[in-house]
Amino acid sequence: MIARWDRWIARVRSLFRRKELDAEFAAELEHHLESLTDEFVQNGLDRKEAHRRAVLALGGITQTRELQRQVRGFAWLDQFLQDCAFAVRVFRREKAFTVTVLAVLAVGIGLNVTVFSLVNTTILRPLPFPEPERLYWISNRDGTNANTDLSSVSSLVEVWEELARTSRTMEVIEAFDPFSVRQTYRLTGAGDPETILSLNVSPGLFGTLGIRPMLGRLLLPEDAVLHAPPRILLTHQLWQRRFASDPAIVGRSVQINGAPVEVVGVMPPIDVFSSVFFPAVRVDVYSPLCNDVERGWGNTVIMLGRARPGFSSADVRADLKLAVDRLQKPLSEKYWSFSARPTPLKTRVVGSLQRPLTFLWIAAAMVLAIVGLNVGGLQLARGAARSKELAVRYALGAGRGRLLRQLVTECSLLVAVGSAVGLVLAWGLIHFLTSRSAVEMPLLQTLHLGAGSAAFTVALAFLTTLFCGLAPAWRLAQAAQLGSRIGDDGRTTTASLGRSRLRNALVVGEVALACTLAVSAALVTRSLNNVLAIDLGFQPKNLVAIRVDPGAPDPKAQFIEQLLERARSVPGVEAAGATDCIPVERDRSWWLSAPDSENPARQVGCDAHVRIVTPGLLATMGIPLHEGRDFAASDDAQHPTAIIVNRTLAKRLWPNAPSALGKEVRHGGGKAIVVGVAGDVRHSGPEVESGSEMYFCVHQLPQVASWDVLLRTRLPPALAAASLRQVVRGLDPTLPLTKVRSMQAIVDRSMSSRRLLSTMVIGFAAMALGLALFGLYGVISYTVAQRQREIGIRMALGAAASTVLRNVVGRTLALAVCGTALGVVLALAVSRSLASVLYGISPTDPTTYAVAVVLLLGCAIAAGYYPARRAAQIDPATALRWE
Amino acid sequence: MAKDKLDLLQGTLDLLVLRTLATMGKMHGYGIARRIEQVGGEAVLLNQGTIYASLVRLQQGKWIEAKWGTSDNNRKAKYYEITTRGKKRLADETANWERVSGVVHRILKAGPETGEIVT
Repeated sequence: MIARWDRWIARVRSLFRRKELDAEFAAELEHHLESLTDEFVQNGLDRKEAHRRAVLALGGITQTRELQRQVRGFAWLDQFLQDCAFAVRVFRREKAFTVTVLAVLAVGIGLNVTVFSLVNTTILRPLPFPEPERLYWISNRDGTNANTDLSSVSSLVEVWEELARTSRTMEVIEAFDPFSVRQTYRLTGAGDPETILSLNVSPGLFGTLGIRPMLGRLLLPEDAVLHAPPRILLTHQLWQRRFASDPAIVGRSVQINGAPVEVVGVMPPIDVFSSVFFPAVRVDVYSPLCNDVERGWGNTVIMLGRARPGFSSADVRADLKLAVDRLQKPLSEKYWSFSARPTPLKTRVVGSLQRPLTFLWIAAAMVLAIVGLNVGGLQLARGAARSKELAVRYALGAGRGRLLRQLVTECSLLVAVGSAVGLVLAWGLIHFLTSRSAVEMPLLQTLHLGAGSAAFTVALAFLTTLFCGLAPAWRLAQAAQLGSRIGDDGRTTTASLGRSRLRNALVVGEVALACTLAVSAALVTRSLNNVLAIDLGFQPKNLVAIRVDPGAPDPKAQFIEQLLERARSVPGVEAAGATDCIPVERDRSWWLSAPDSENPARQVGCDAHVRIVTPGLLATMGIPLHEGRDFAASDDAQHPTAIIVNRTLAKRLWPNAPSALGKEVRHGGGKAIVVGVAGDVRHSGPEVESGSEMYFCVHQLPQVASWDVLLRTRLPPALAAASLRQVVRGLDPTLPLTKVRSMQAIVDRSMSSRRLLSTMVIGFAAMALGLALFGLYGVISYTVAQRQREIGIRMALGAAASTVLRNVVGRTLALAVCGTALGVVLALAVSRSLASVLYGISPTDPTTYAVAVVLLLGCAIAAGYYPARRAAQIDPATALRWE
Repeated sequence: MAKDKLDLLQGTLDLLVLRTLATMGKMHGYGIARRIEQVGGEAVLLNQGTIYASLVRLQQGKWIEAKWGTSDNNRKAKYYEITTRGKKRLADETANWERVSGVVHRILKAGPETGEIVT
């Protein structure tokens, strides 16, 4: 055993001492030969003959040296290094080929590693919590009646308490208040005052998710009782930004809204809320959620629970339903209806991403396949030029296997270098993606270049290229064997015929994949355009929203009216209004009912989105008023409560009435009279249908503590905010103005993942198209070069240049048509996985397919035209003399 | 070592080299080749160069050691010497070889009347 190890070590060491060992062995051989020669001379031969005989008896100097080298080191390694050295020489000679192949490979692999990392992070890997399959997201009514606003999906504290107490299947149920993050707080002391956002969580929530604080401790039950001393957890980003990563922060107090609050801990860098549950939403601190404070505010909490081991999601669903049913009776006086729907946490977080990302993955794999086909095609084209060299090497005794190995080594070397560059590219792309905090994609922050993803993709690339490289290599080796007449350049042999057939097949494959991607890109682009063309019901352009936090409700709403009055006087501001709830960014709903038209004693009702607004807001936002009037100064506490409903709500409550004006409704607080009917607003983003909406006037419901002031202005948001700041200073110099954003930016953010998907698919398609056309161009140029003599003869015999041109372009078109036909079939199969991300367009939309096909064929003709023109310009005399 | 044993010819040549060095003491490559040819007849070595493959192998496994010295005719030559490890291997392999060749010999010589099964 030891001897075996010693030998291994010696063999490995010999690799690094080649020169020394070679010299030593040369001396030893010399001694051997001289001694042997001496012996032959003694036997009576002359010196020259004696030397010849000595070499013969030895078995050849080179052979002996080779044998010794092989035993000394590793034979395969020697050959491999030889092949590599040779490949490098070949690559240096063919710079254009090498650079093209490397670029193509690098981009293909870079894209694939990025996409695969994305897929791996979001879909394939379990969520970054211990035993994530036991975690459930428990929401109230979800998805029904298009009510996906927070009020509809969140639950009553009473429901949470009951479930946590009585559930048989859940080990623990924790909760957080999603509304709490809408309130802003003022952080003062050390540095400029700033506005921070706080999320209220139940003390056990982070523990249930297996999250440990980076510093200090998590929240404890005693922090969450009524009148407990205020304590918070800092998020990592706030800790870094505001407190310069001070390790001694734990236990110290910070000033929030003017009162001291103790910091008990700092959360880890990847924040569970802003990177997993509510991507792209900022959270600065976590505060304890106090049940007694929440009670009475209606639906305010979202529950997160861990099931006991061994229960399926069906068990959990049934169990929670049972528990909620028990509650229905005692609570039915106060609340209309509620339920508890558990969704496996993973489904809640990434469920909607599954299909789009899978599609993206397929698209990336297609690009990789095209890359493989392209590299294969390039190798084959190069093979035409190399068949002579290979024939020579074959004639000199290189075995077919040896030639094959040489070609495979070349291929592997290309993939290795291409992968290295590709990985650098992927690293850059991933870095870019993770820095896009405005992209609403869960887990994006946890994205990194994983060794697994990289290895997987490089292996895939290697296999693809090897497969594509091997087919040509096999052909080449065959050609070398068949056409080993060295003087022949292989242009008319059977092997070359097979080669061009193979090249045609590769190109048809490329065109087919490119066509599929082009169709997908066209579908995705048209979807994006459809989404962009959606009438939001308000005009986001030139609309700036600025958060103003008076901190407490102003009973007469005088302050906000004064502020708006001054804002309207700012030059450049066309209109101004304020609301507590701007569309897309915020949502909540209230229960509303009206007497049934047929049976006035009965009330019919529904949940409706509610906004408390100042007079003039509708006009400022560009929300049309179809009937009636806007709120006025006269809508105050002395007058009956006025309400403006949107068309959907009007239709819903009074389906048969010619007008909703003057109707009476009941809402949580009392009665109201409809004074106007407004247009529908897409309150949850462009892609979500409008639901029922209503507006109240702030003078009649003065309960707003946090406003969004909306300015209709052509000024840039920052400038508008600066002007407003000037105005506000006169009213209240300490009032913070925060969160300045244009409505357009808010709308754009809600479309960010669609945009990202579209950009990526379009990028892939463009790359695929480029590669396919490059391949097509290559194969046609090659054919033209090959047929130069034939074309020359035809032209000498009277063929017109235009005939030749038509002939070559026709040949290109034939290949393109084959590829496109195949591509359309493939697209029909693949587009089904795309259906869920399309908007307003069918995955089999014939117009889109036609456009993609025409585009592809047009490009194909362009790719074939250049070689065709070259063919048409062939001078018959030159062509015939050219051999 | 298991791999070396599989290849009968390779192993055999190593065995012969070890035997030669054990018998003759320090020797250079040329001397070993000539000695094997003289004792075993010309047929043993296909050509003398193959001896160097064997010498590298044995040296790497530390069954033999090498030192540069001066030969009888005043030339620089590399001298090989068997090590303790080499002697042990020689003993093992000689025994093994004798056992195997004995078995092979008996089978080849066995007539139809000998019914003994050798295991």
